[in-house]
Amino acid sequence: MKLTFLIAICLFASTVCSAQHKYSSKTGTIDFEASVPSFEEVKAVNENVSAILNTDNGEFASLALVKGFRFKIALMEEHFNENYIESSQFPKAIFKGKLQDFVFSEVSESVSEYMLKGTITIHGVTEPFETSVKLKKVNDVIELQTEFELKPEKFNIKIPKIVSNKIATEVFVKAMYSLSN
Amino acid sequence: MKKKIVFLIVMLVLVVGAYTGYKYLYKDHRNITKEVAVVETSAAQLQEQFQNNAAEALLNKTLTVTGIVTQIEGKSITIDDKVHCSFKYEMKGVQVGDEIHLKGRCIGYDDLFEIVKLDQSTLITAE
Repeated sequence: MKLTFLIAICLFASTVCSAQHKYSSKTGTIDFEASVPSFEEVKAVNENVSAILNTDNGEFASLALVKGFRFKIALMEEHFNENYIESSQFPKAIFKGKLQDFVFSEVSESVSEYMLKGTITIHGVTEPFETSVKLKKVNDVIELQTEFELKPEKFNIKIPKIVSNKIATEVFVKAMYSLSN
Repeated sequence: MKKKIVFLIVMLVLVVGAYTGYKYLYKDHRNITKEVAVVETSAAQLQEQFQNNAAEALLNKTLTVTGIVTQIEGKSITIDDKVHCSFKYEMKGVQVGDEIHLKGRCIGYDDLFEIVKLDQSTLITAE
């Protein structure tokens, strides 16, 4: 009798735990650009980025599969994967962190800004990272958007001298997610 | 006369060189739809392979996968909650619960959702 009671409590507790409020998407978009004027555009888009936001505490995680970045020029995509980002060895780019002072009930149809702090892992290198993100909620879908700059050298990505004048030293990144529960 | 021939040969070499150079720099993207799949598998098998860390060889390869549609999100379809496949267009006529057979390029394993991701997918219709 005691045992069944215990089991019942455990089951109840586990359902309570799993009932965290999570908003997520498997089709977030990240694009980056490192173009230099008058040279070929260095730009790629990944439309299959995963992200999960825990609306109870503002924890946010995002994962992009590096091979999912598509360039206009096939050879550029090949070089990006094989020589720079080495996507076979490091297939994932991951962000893990937390929205600062996040209160879910304050998110509305008008845009509000939050600081997002955490760590970003690219090319096997983890770096502390923070950026400001814009949030709004329309019809129970949370739109999260952010823009920031990253330096390839910080992530141990080496750009050969011959092409270094054709690739910007700061990579401009834009990320957009429509998170639903 | 000799000069003319030399000139013509030089021109020819230049033109051919420029053409092959251009072709190399601006070669076409892979056409996954026309590639022959290296592996035919089911969604469950594919996920298991990645969870056992035995799937590195599948990265960037063209696969065909079979499974039941569990979620449709814009231009992408998740099958058996295990494989997420993105298409170029919204797939009209596919509904949750349908069994589908598709071809796509494997881009890796997503730890957040514990799913394998494919891109450039196309449906394979039964013949």
